[in-house]
Amino acid sequence: MSQSDSTAPGGAQTLSERQTLSERLAPYVSFLGPMAMILMIIVFMGVVEPARYFRLSNLNQILLDAALYMPMAMAMTFVITQRGIDLSIGSVAALSSIIMAFLIKQYGFPAWSAALIALCLGAMMGLINGLVITKFKVPDLIGTLAMDLVYRGFALVIAKGLVLARFPDMITEIGRGQSLMFLPTPVLIGVLTFIGGYVLLKSTHFGRYTIAIGSNPEASDMTGIAVDRHRVYAYVLMGTMAALAGIMLTGKLNAIQATSAPYFNLHVIAAVVVGGTSLFGGRASIVGSLAGVLLLSMMINALVTLRIEFFWQSVASGVVIIFSVALYTWLQKKDRDGSGGMRAAMGNPDNRKLLRLTGYIVGAAIILSIASLMLGGSPNPSG
Amino acid sequence: MVENQPIVAMRGISKRFGGVVALSHVDLEAYAGEVLAIVGDNGAGKSTLIKILTGVYQPTEGSIELDGKPFSMASHSDAIENGIDAVYQNLAIADHLTPAENLFLGAELTKKVFGFQALDNKLMKSEATRVLKDRLGVQLKSMDVATESLSGGQRQAVAIARAVRHDDLRVLVMDEPTAALGPQETARTLELIKVLKQQGLAIIVISHSLDDVFEISDRIHVQRRGQCAGVVKTADTTNEEVLGLIVGTRTAA
Repeated sequence: MSQSDSTAPGGAQTLSERQTLSERLAPYVSFLGPMAMILMIIVFMGVVEPARYFRLSNLNQILLDAALYMPMAMAMTFVITQRGIDLSIGSVAALSSIIMAFLIKQYGFPAWSAALIALCLGAMMGLINGLVITKFKVPDLIGTLAMDLVYRGFALVIAKGLVLARFPDMITEIGRGQSLMFLPTPVLIGVLTFIGGYVLLKSTHFGRYTIAIGSNPEASDMTGIAVDRHRVYAYVLMGTMAALAGIMLTGKLNAIQATSAPYFNLHVIAAVVVGGTSLFGGRASIVGSLAGVLLLSMMINALVTLRIEFFWQSVASGVVIIFSVALYTWLQKKDRDGSGGMRAAMGNPDNRKLLRLTGYIVGAAIILSIASLMLGGSPNPSG
Repeated sequence: MVENQPIVAMRGISKRFGGVVALSHVDLEAYAGEVLAIVGDNGAGKSTLIKILTGVYQPTEGSIELDGKPFSMASHSDAIENGIDAVYQNLAIADHLTPAENLFLGAELTKKVFGFQALDNKLMKSEATRVLKDRLGVQLKSMDVATESLSGGQRQAVAIARAVRHDDLRVLVMDEPTAALGPQETARTLELIKVLKQQGLAIIVISHSLDDVFEISDRIHVQRRGQCAGVVKTADTTNEEVLGLIVGTRTAA
């Protein structure tokens, strides 16, 4: 410290230059983060399993998988930037596409009108979410979690255990068509929604107010922004995009049932958060969300390609989310001095107590296991 | 320096919240090119008074005159339309937006693109740069950074620029402009206030710092327990006299 003081002018110069460099990099961090991870996957798979991972059909598969989440990740970026969250999107997708399926299969609606009705239904469900949150003052987390149960319940009531399958060409085209020779239609749809989202964020009042509301709700209110109305808008957008994803899923599988799309919400939230949009509001990255979606799809596909058991996907997704959020939090911390590594951390009495607690828990588990092994007889398998 | 006709005058203003009397029969006049300081203890009614002046609250009793003509405000935007605006203590700034985006927050400039209304970010940026430079003499290193990366004084300048952006602004109310600032930033902000005063604005400053008040104000309005304890010319008074009025050991001559 004293050394840098003695070299004041030169030292200060380089310091400020370094700050401006990190300042200049700051807007791209959210994009560079997922990009670095994508690169890591590419390098890793390039070494381990290049032949099967980089096959054109497999790349197509990755894009096809990612496309399903693109519209939702775009909309979720707005919701999360406003300090909200939407846990109901899986059910919104399922319910709106179930109704669409019934309209087509049972009532003979043309595919295009049934699909548009599904989008309207999704928008309406988003509207209900928004009103529950802004008018009834139910916190986002609980409000959308409860509405998730409601929408899923309705889907089950309508479809019972039925699997509705075989849809008109238009629906399957949306879900898995290859409109341009190499680019699947859903990818085109997904990328278009992202372009729309980017324009929405940068050049409309809604986008500007989304950041303002997430950044400082009270200030937004004082400047005359209709905070609640713009929050409702975000949920309507979210519902519409969830319904679009429902249609895409229906087309992709050429089948739909009430229990479809169970983990949409967590996957989409993960993609958005990995993409650098802050859960604390105000920091949006549309491009980052796109990168986040691609990253998750590439990672899951890599696990499949490596023939790792399906259940590991869940473990990998969770670990990636924790690491990326921790990384962003660390990057955004202004004062990174005085951390001092492992020894300083151990000097902190709170950390010592936590370490002791960890020791007690692990110790208890080990002692219980050993005692059980000694006392227990031969194992008798259940069932 | 002081014209005979006040830009805005509050006459016999009272405000009750349920049974609580926040203000009782308070008069206040603001003149062009003058800095009026409002001082007083916590709960003396300073904030309520300026919230009525800026249209946030409506008075229970009393009237407000603009250029000698009675007028009433239903909301804060009415006040802005009539040339009265405020800079709040917490600045009401969205930290993640750029200075230009904050300057035009809630009143964005737009352009037509294919028949749609789109934000004109380029125009807002150049306008914001111009307002900051021409009106406040402030030039930021970069207009593209998030406002959170600016210093306290620069953030203050952005908040003030938001108010003075309206060319028809005539009365600027500032609530504790120096409360959260260090000595250097305080000096900068006081400079800004002097610059605005020279531009002919009527400036009303709420402050707890008598040093600041004596440096910039022309008159001092002392609030005490919801009433006006006296209005004194800064040049004719002393620190002790104002303190006496604030705590009630002295009454206005």
